Amino acid sequence: MPNPLIVLRDVSKTFPGATGPFNALTGVNLSIDQGEFVVVVGQSGSGKSTLLALLAGIDRPTHGEVVVGGTAVHSLSERQMSSWRGKAVGIVFQFFQLLPTLTAIENVMLPMDFSRAWPAGERRPRALALMGRLGVADQADKLPATLSGGQQQRVAVARALANEPAVLLADEPTGNLDSRTASSMLELLAGLVREGQTVVMVTHDESARRFATRTVTLADGQVVASDEFAHA
Amino acid sequence: MLSPRWRKVARDLWLHKSRTVLVVSAICIGIIGAGSVLDAWSLLRRVTRGEFDASNPASAVIRTDSVDDALLARIRAMPAIASAGGRRTVTARVQTADGWQTAWLMASDDFTRNDIGVIKPDHGAWPPRDGELVVEHSSVDFAGIAVGDALPIQVGDAPPLTLTVSGIARDVGLAPGWMEHVVYIFVTPATLARLGSPSSMNEIQLLVRDRTSNRTAVQRVASDVRTLVEGTGRRVRDVNVPVPGRHIHAAQIESLLLTQGAFGLLTLLLSGILVVNLISAMLTGQVREIGVMKAMGARADQIAAMYLVLALVLGIIASVISIPVAAVLGRMYAEFSAGILNFDIAGFRIPVWSFALQLAVGAVLPVIAAAIPVARGCRISVSDALRDFGITNRGDQATRWPLPGFAALPRPLLLSLRNAFRRRQRMVLTLATLSAGGAVYLGAINLRSAVRGSVDLAFASQRYDVLLRLSHPYSPDSLLAATAGVAGVARAEAWSGARATVSASSGPVGNSFAIAAPPLASKMLVVPIDSGRSLMAGPANELVVNHRLLADNPELVFGKEVSLIIGGKIARWTIVGVADAGPLPMAFTSRETLERVTGQSGATSVVIAANTTGPAAQLDLVRRLRMSFADHEVEVSSSQLMSEQRKVIEDHLLMVAGFLGDMSLLMIVVGGLGLASTMSLAVLERTREIGVLRAIGAPHSAIIAMVQVEGLVIAVLSWALAIPLSLPMSVALGNAFGRVMLALPVRLLPEPSGVLLWLGVVIVLSIVACAWPAIRATRITTAAALAYE
Repeated sequence: MPNPLIVLRDVSKTFPGATGPFNALTGVNLSIDQGEFVVVVGQSGSGKSTLLALLAGIDRPTHGEVVVGGTAVHSLSERQMSSWRGKAVGIVFQFFQLLPTLTAIENVMLPMDFSRAWPAGERRPRALALMGRLGVADQADKLPATLSGGQQQRVAVARALANEPAVLLADEPTGNLDSRTASSMLELLAGLVREGQTVVMVTHDESARRFATRTVTLADGQVVASDEFAHA
Repeated sequence: MLSPRWRKVARDLWLHKSRTVLVVSAICIGIIGAGSVLDAWSLLRRVTRGEFDASNPASAVIRTDSVDDALLARIRAMPAIASAGGRRTVTARVQTADGWQTAWLMASDDFTRNDIGVIKPDHGAWPPRDGELVVEHSSVDFAGIAVGDALPIQVGDAPPLTLTVSGIARDVGLAPGWMEHVVYIFVTPATLARLGSPSSMNEIQLLVRDRTSNRTAVQRVASDVRTLVEGTGRRVRDVNVPVPGRHIHAAQIESLLLTQGAFGLLTLLLSGILVVNLISAMLTGQVREIGVMKAMGARADQIAAMYLVLALVLGIIASVISIPVAAVLGRMYAEFSAGILNFDIAGFRIPVWSFALQLAVGAVLPVIAAAIPVARGCRISVSDALRDFGITNRGDQATRWPLPGFAALPRPLLLSLRNAFRRRQRMVLTLATLSAGGAVYLGAINLRSAVRGSVDLAFASQRYDVLLRLSHPYSPDSLLAATAGVAGVARAEAWSGARATVSASSGPVGNSFAIAAPPLASKMLVVPIDSGRSLMAGPANELVVNHRLLADNPELVFGKEVSLIIGGKIARWTIVGVADAGPLPMAFTSRETLERVTGQSGATSVVIAANTTGPAAQLDLVRRLRMSFADHEVEVSSSQLMSEQRKVIEDHLLMVAGFLGDMSLLMIVVGGLGLASTMSLAVLERTREIGVLRAIGAPHSAIIAMVQVEGLVIAVLSWALAIPLSLPMSVALGNAFGRVMLALPVRLLPEPSGVLLWLGVVIVLSIVACAWPAIRATRITTAAALAYE
């Protein structure tokens, strides 16, 4: 049996608060294999976004270990974490977070620019290919403000895939989209999973379950259920 | 082709045009302030050093009875002497369009020789021919004289002659005529004779062979020449050895450049603070973008490089704009300053290193200023950056200010007051910029007032309006008789005077200085004594000296005896008092004591207290006095109104204070820009809040008032801070200014009207600076504001 791509061992995360420490995650253990489409669901404040932040290396656990693709993320320095993040994970945000002063294709090229994983001459054709794969190649030279929400989110996914990350992390990617566009976005992610991409998605959207290979339910910072499905 | 991140830098610059313009403006003002001073300074150094040295200024000047070719030949034969020339300077009156003016007629034994204090022809004839006048360049505009004019000239009581101006020439060694209120005219000895003046030379100008000699070495050479002259039976009246290579007004120009340079740098520093403020705000607005870039793998150093390059580009843009402006202003300023020194900067260029330095500072300053906010902004963790919601209210004590006692204030006013304290670091930087500008502004006003006070004090001791200098000594009684019955004379005194040189065992030391000798019981000269006492009757030779004389002559010590050479005779004197009496080196004794020491009786000047006021009435009084003296066969060599002398001194002193005022205006502009940027950023950061206010019914006027009141709070705080800050600033300025210009610190005289004036200035500044941010705030629509991320 292959080693899991993502392993969380006894992970806890505590935030200081005005009324005392707040436990966002408590003793979470989780393994995710290559090619899984894991949907993390739960009420507001259940710890979903915190879990995603720990997987993305944008936050550190108070206790426990986070291992992604064999790298102990929790032990990396800030500098190492930046470089690792640029190559190992791609992140899709709820509000797209495209840089407003760059065109769509420039947004997609930006991670390649930072990581230098691709020669300068290959970055634009690669970005265009990714955008073509996601159906937004014709929007390449437009500024984000001129794109629809769905188009912006597709560009954001293309950007997340720019450096061929092992894991695509999506934080409420459909939260700011209408239901039709949201459904199309979920289909797109499922398609990526079918091509071998590992996706971890945090969402409130119940309809996401039907695209997932597994649903992890969080409540009060703990994993209360992990249901596997055959589809995706 | 630029990579996306550099394209982002370029587009950020372009898309945030108003912010870019503000940063560039701030840097421009800093560079223009400091750069123009640097340009002027470098240009003046070139001009003054080059031209002044090239003019071969006299190493020493010896005044004696008469000078002839034989004496000059003997002096020129001395091994240490490179050249020697004879001159005579005669005080005269010349009638110009503005009436009779004081003139100095300067004759040379040989103008064609012209190798000491070289006089350069400007236009028209040179050298002067017999019966013609060549006017010195610095007197031309002030007296309204042109080549071809026919000018009536009078020497003493001789009948006036009308002579033609045949040329204009420049003597860079002279203090400018416009400032001294004197018309300098070059004439031949024969012209002097036609005007009724002695025509033989009485002044020896020396040029030492070793041009690297220091003042002491030149004084030794001058002393040898003095011995030679005295050996021929002539009497040496005084020996003057200026500091080698130093122009007569060098102290003023150095003080001017130094203070201007200091404030230029301060302006640069303040504009640096403004840049820190603006770049901090820019980063605040981009926290989420920084978070996103970090989330996709950007390292802190990669992001820092983007913002530092952005700062560098802003600096380069600002430098490209401001360096030419600084060059134009610097050249204008150098032209003016060179005019003060009587130099011409035509043909001189600002050195390339000055431009290079400005470019380097202009480009690097914003990078340095941005370094701290960039480092801080880039250190933010990805999670914090992505969670950023812009300005937040932490609800601490400071943001609840003003405390419950102020709760009765209207809510919009409370909001403005509390808003002013929300970004405390930014507010402190804005306050620092505005307060520093205010402190310099008040300092300049206080300095002006203090200078006027010092001049008042100096002139308060001189209780007369007119001074008449006589060609020869006359009996005091006969002089007073000549003034009796002249309409407009309230009181008169006959004074004596002399020039003295300190005598040491090695011979004469230092420059000669003037001794004023009024009668012991004088009511018209009441010297304010700082230390010691006034003159008393008795057998001792008592002297009161002023601070400047003490500063210039270390051999003179209060309370000690000193040997002075007066009229060729050496006598022991005791310094019994030190007086605060004017900017020129000066000593005082009684006429009776001077008569006893020199053995010569008679007075050489008459001072008059007039019972008329105004220059026209007093000039009329001078005319009547001259007529009366002529009737009594008393020859008047020159006359002077004290009001005119006061103006000459004030023109010298207030010039620097005036420039400081101009400099403070530049700093106030920087402060205003700081306030404008702070308020623009405040509006930008509170877009959502403004939307909420509008949603709950706030009218345009309330939004405008909220922004304006917030700006006023900062402005009034800066006003209050500037008042205590201005006190040490005024003391420092007074000390620096006084030591250079007056040889004593200027007394600090805080000017209450200046404090009120500054309050008015900051209020107007605040209203103007907040106008655009307030208008922008009213243009925010409720929907857009509530959707603002």
